[in-house]
Amino acid sequence: MVEILSSVMDGLLIGLVYGLAAIGLTLIFGVMDVVNLAHGAIIALGMFFLYLFFGAGLHPYLALLPVAVLGFIFGVIVYQIAVRKIISGPPLMSLLATFAVSMIIIGVGTALWSTSPYNINFKVTTYNFFGYTVTSARLVSAVAAVLVTFGLYYFLYRTVLGKAVRAVANNREAAELMGIPSQQILAITFGIGTMLAMLSGALIATLFPFTILSGGVYELKSFVASVLGGLGNPTGALFGGIILGLIEGSVAPFIQVSWTNVIEFVIFVGILLFFPTGLFGGRK
Amino acid sequence: MSAVLELTGVETGYGEVQVLWGVSMQVEQGKMTTLVGANGAGKTTTMRAIMGVVHPWKGTVRFQGQDVTNLSAHDKAQLGLVLVPEGRQLFSDMTIEENLAMGAYSKRARQSLDANLKKVYQFFPRLEERKKQKAGTLSGGEQQMLAVGRGLMADPLVLMIDELSLGLAPVLAQGLFATLKQLKDAGMTIFLVEQNVYLALALSDYAYVLAEGRVKIEGPSHEVAHNDEVREAYLGI
Repeated sequence: MVEILSSVMDGLLIGLVYGLAAIGLTLIFGVMDVVNLAHGAIIALGMFFLYLFFGAGLHPYLALLPVAVLGFIFGVIVYQIAVRKIISGPPLMSLLATFAVSMIIIGVGTALWSTSPYNINFKVTTYNFFGYTVTSARLVSAVAAVLVTFGLYYFLYRTVLGKAVRAVANNREAAELMGIPSQQILAITFGIGTMLAMLSGALIATLFPFTILSGGVYELKSFVASVLGGLGNPTGALFGGIILGLIEGSVAPFIQVSWTNVIEFVIFVGILLFFPTGLFGGRK
Repeated sequence: MSAVLELTGVETGYGEVQVLWGVSMQVEQGKMTTLVGANGAGKTTTMRAIMGVVHPWKGTVRFQGQDVTNLSAHDKAQLGLVLVPEGRQLFSDMTIEENLAMGAYSKRARQSLDANLKKVYQFFPRLEERKKQKAGTLSGGEQQMLAVGRGLMADPLVLMIDELSLGLAPVLAQGLFATLKQLKDAGMTIFLVEQNVYLALALSDYAYVLAEGRVKIEGPSHEVAHNDEVREAYLGI
């Protein structure tokens, strides 16, 4: 029994990190209707950025800060080069453009780091609560994911710039008419979405070994979590991530790991069929 | 003549379809100018071309003597050229308060945010009562009040309104026109597109009649209102 509960708890904690990744994906979709196929590659890049700063002697949790800053800058650059020109075109254009970005990141990443696994080796404490053992790394990553989500909500609902992001998401043309430079806002949004993806990647890197190809799995999880929560809805994406984590945690003691994907995608198809706007309602 | 906004030979359209064929008009400082015409005459396109939402293919738009033809819509809004668009176009998932705050996004408008907010709430007390309510949940009349209020928050030097009364009950429309008259009396320069031709001509100083993308007739509003030819041919009244 304790074993099952432990597994569910672990699932919940990692689910929060999935949720953070999913928010990055769903924010970009919600504001500019772009399905970012570079999401997974960006998550993997976040892992390697953390690895670089860690290698330079920074504590992994301290290194989250420069990873966040780099993530934002990287996202703004990707937007300006690959997305800006085609933002008003057909959706297929942005799919192809972000897919190309993904291939470029993975290609350069493979050249630099090969596809062999890396890990972040730092001191992790283990706690024991009534037989449930949990590592400090898992706790910290979950707490960090929650804090970043709160930060995002504070930004979106309490700051003028954040409100402008919501205004552009609501009605880009009306925002322009009110003097809001929509292209600039879209670039910032893409930067934030990229930053969240990189942060989630960095947090995952503190838990598991990773390669430049690791992002794909988390990209899929982000899609499932976003669709569970309703595409374009950040809160929904967080809960979608938690649900995914809980499913993984509760089935892990009973079946082989490879089956979790099957279960997740069966649920994914089921949600698409029966709750097309997600469990928590679509875009806000 | 002190035209604060001036169009010269503006031509534009959507894709291959040309809508405006050399439109020239002037909006004078402190006056209310109106643009009337049948559906599909190009009134909304004229407004959109002025703002740059639709790019003019030919011709120029000058604002306060400066050529602004190729500026983006948000740059023009920053300069004080503000359009309250057709169909209200509110930020429907945001509250009344937030919608008004977004109206004052530009640097220029942000300085007078408090004063303008007070003014807007004076014009439309209903908006203050419901300031925490989401724009999407408001009635049609309240939405139009909010659209005008949001426009005023942008601290316009020229306030352009595309279809003030469309879809509103007559009582509500009259209320909004009364507000418009107050604004006009306070010295605001207004450029109005309005399907209620009677009201528009009665209230405005100068009128342009648009048909098939061309200015057919222009003149002081009372003259246009009494021109039988205009009434029959272009306005259907």
